[in-house]
Amino acid sequence: GPHQLPCDILPNDPTPVCEWKDPEMLRDLLDLELGDSSEPHEKLLQLCRDVARFSVKTNHPRFFNQLFAGLDHHALVGRFLSDSLNTSQYTYEVGPVFVLMEEVVLTKLRAVIGWNSGDGIFCPGGSISTMYAMNLARYRAFPEVKVRGLWSLPRLALFTSQECHYSVKKSACFLGIGLENVQLVDGIFPFMVSATSGSTVFGAFDPLDEIADVCQKYQLWFHVDAAWGGSVLLSKKHRHLMTGIDRADSVAWNPHKMMMAGLQCSAFLLKDTSNLLKLCHSANATYLFQQDKFYDISYDTGDKSIQCGRKVDCLKLWLMWKARGTRGMEERVDRAFAYTRYLMDEMKKREGFQLLLEPQFVNICFWYIPPSLRGQQGQEGYEEKLSKVAPIVKERMIKKGSMMVSYQPRGSQVNFFRMVVINPQITREDLDFFLDEIESLASDL
Amino acid sequence: MDSPSADIHLSPVTKNAVLVDGVVLNGPTLDSKSGEKFVEEAFPLIMEEAVRKATNVNEKVCEWQPPDALKQLLDLELREEGESHQQILQRCQDVIKYSVKTGHPRFFNQLYAGLDHYSLVARFITEALNPSVYTYEVSPVFLLIEEVVLKKMMEYVGWEKGGDGIFCPGGSVSNMYAVNVARYKHCPNIKDEGLSGLPRLVMFASEECHYSISKAAAFLGIGMKNVYAVSSDDRGKMIPEELEKQVQRAKKEGAVPFLVCATAGTTVFGAFDPLQEIADVCKKHHLWLHVDASWGGSALMSRKHRHLLSGIHRADSVAWNPHKMLMAGLQCCAFLMKDRTGLLQMCHSAQASYLFQKDKFYDVSCDTGDKSIQCSRRSDAFKFWFMWKAIGTRGLEGRVNRALALARYLAEEIKKKEGFRLLLEPEYANVCFWYIPPSLRNMPEGPEFWKRLHQVAPAIKERMMKKGSMMIGYQPHRCQVNFFRQIVISPQVSREDMDFVLKEIEALGVDM
Repeated sequence: GPHQLPCDILPNDPTPVCEWKDPEMLRDLLDLELGDSSEPHEKLLQLCRDVARFSVKTNHPRFFNQLFAGLDHHALVGRFLSDSLNTSQYTYEVGPVFVLMEEVVLTKLRAVIGWNSGDGIFCPGGSISTMYAMNLARYRAFPEVKVRGLWSLPRLALFTSQECHYSVKKSACFLGIGLENVQLVDGIFPFMVSATSGSTVFGAFDPLDEIADVCQKYQLWFHVDAAWGGSVLLSKKHRHLMTGIDRADSVAWNPHKMMMAGLQCSAFLLKDTSNLLKLCHSANATYLFQQDKFYDISYDTGDKSIQCGRKVDCLKLWLMWKARGTRGMEERVDRAFAYTRYLMDEMKKREGFQLLLEPQFVNICFWYIPPSLRGQQGQEGYEEKLSKVAPIVKERMIKKGSMMVSYQPRGSQVNFFRMVVINPQITREDLDFFLDEIESLASDL
Repeated sequence: MDSPSADIHLSPVTKNAVLVDGVVLNGPTLDSKSGEKFVEEAFPLIMEEAVRKATNVNEKVCEWQPPDALKQLLDLELREEGESHQQILQRCQDVIKYSVKTGHPRFFNQLYAGLDHYSLVARFITEALNPSVYTYEVSPVFLLIEEVVLKKMMEYVGWEKGGDGIFCPGGSVSNMYAVNVARYKHCPNIKDEGLSGLPRLVMFASEECHYSISKAAAFLGIGMKNVYAVSSDDRGKMIPEELEKQVQRAKKEGAVPFLVCATAGTTVFGAFDPLQEIADVCKKHHLWLHVDASWGGSALMSRKHRHLLSGIHRADSVAWNPHKMLMAGLQCCAFLMKDRTGLLQMCHSAQASYLFQKDKFYDVSCDTGDKSIQCSRRSDAFKFWFMWKAIGTRGLEGRVNRALALARYLAEEIKKKEGFRLLLEPEYANVCFWYIPPSLRNMPEGPEFWKRLHQVAPAIKERMMKKGSMMIGYQPHRCQVNFFRQIVISPQVSREDMDFVLKEIEALGVDM
């Protein structure tokens, strides 16, 4: 039969999403100075209260501002544990449990992708996962680059969509490839394509099978930035959005986003089984990766990383997964999609809400057109006036503390809202409130 | 019904259930009550097992299991269904049991150790709030705190006018920032055009430097062979005259020197490069001076020992990891720059319009996220700030002084004790020594002697780990055979623990 979902009365939550103070005022309120002597116990507790009070409540059901939100209690305990145990992931010697655990979690993520073998590592953020992909792709094409650098190589280029995350650009700069070489340029050596599954603003999914065909034909490393969209793979109903993902060479997937594992939790996964990751990055430091240890040193995976000390990021995901099961994780994804559809349907019923496009995922991009502007599209000054609506509504909602949702311009499109539905604590009331609140905050515009 | 960890409470609903896309939408799925209950029960477990016992000298440092056995014991597999409340609590217990207790007074294995309770509380708060430090909008408090901490650290470096900086996910990444910014300063076009076709850039570091310098060169497309290793003296310090020679050599080759990385507190010996002389060379040749003070930077907190970094104010950039000697908790790594022209921002920015909108209602210069190579970024400064508030500068200074005093004590004891031999006098908290078991003591020190001595440390290490009595690292280094590297950090370490180190090694190695 159908699952019984836990139901609960959610009282009107009196906690604001944020308690806005502008920077100067906040500096004064917080007593930030670091002094010579220790502060008394009571003062320290008060500092804790103040820090919590003036921080944005990203766990709040009405925090819709970023591609992460919500709180999973099991992941939270996992994080408390990781912090208490305070060790590094580099060797079995100092992190035995976590070395084994990371491998199990990565194996599971690979299985969800459709790979029954492969390699991978947790990175401090999806941007760095992108850098790993770029570095590996480069290394595979030109292994000598590790030792000799880019000087004698032909100019390398990589391809990505305009909707890609900006970390692709930052990566190209950081790795010495250069911003100009992200795209198609004459007289260069293409080595990589980075496709996006779940783009940052629209939540769009690139057609992976077709892109894989191109990569196969031209022998390009096929990386899929699924930092945001990867979690759809957990849903039997929605994983079709990433059909072809198993043809990728590497995938970035951030469980700290839709899966709410807590920052940072960013997996970099690859299909390769030739130890490419380690060959590409290793420096064989003898003070850390001794060859004569008394246990099987293949468990010391630290040399695969560009980092030395590396925080344990697998425990929070593992503990949460143990508590929820794959099915529990799937339910959350399906639920987020369902709520998105609900919100979209409600939006369409209301005047003033104009969708930019039909969402593929859980990003809903829309303009709110206040009454005074309705019916004036095409008239002079319309775009400019419309572009001012979102920033003002945003300012008002933050100062009120009622909710947070982000806005941005895009190309010739003026400021629009990007609503993101993640948190399983969200109710239909919250979504109805969302629409009511925007209407209310913009009513006089 | 027998439901896993989401202990279900059925209660009246406020709205009629709706079916959307096959999903019943009715109230929150995440049952906060049972989740909070889990946290409340897990917390005392964490306090007892992962904090109290884990820092208790009467408990074991580690509960050794070989990998295959540990896999069986932990039952790591992730399955379709979730597990019960009790099972998950048991899992927490098992994770703690088989984890190495890096907060234990006898964990001397790495360049981090110990447990500061204030930092821990701050870390718990950070986790609960789960901020990302890219914009003031989303993390106002943590951004301001990071700013204050960076500024304070720069005061200790000696930059009176201040500078710029950011917290990085590790010292290795801080070193990469240095290379990237130095390269950008040298030739800003590289950001757009890349390195291909340009004259070869060369960087310099001592042969004792941390391996992240090599990894940085590889990652950034410069190439490991373009890190020229400068010889060090018998105390592990870079020889400035050799640096000059290497720079000249690079120029003769037609390459372009652009950066020198000096190390303040090397990984193995804890040696400090002579910063004033190195700064002179850099000034002469217009090279960016980066000081990797990831390990040794904390000596700056001590009025007694800060002379070790004399000249550091002349650096262009500094890496300093409070998660090491100051016990701030992984990760806590600052990258500091003297520059005040916005170089860091210019070097890294991509100006993503979905995150760094120009028309926000507050001063957008507060949004520092575009200085970073990361997008979302953890708040790593807060735990350091809170600990500093709790202990004060004097308290932090006291810790550094005490650690170094204990290291000195151990070194002196080693000199008095038969069978122990120091490699060199420690300047910092690294005590490097051999244990020479009785059977080797009368042997002439030829190849056979060294070959057998090389096997002593690994064997003793195995024994100490299986016993769980302490953990000390060992390594070969250059032409030296395996020796122990004892690291003193935690204020919970006592003189008795130092005596124990020597007694225990003797006991474990008596039959060798």
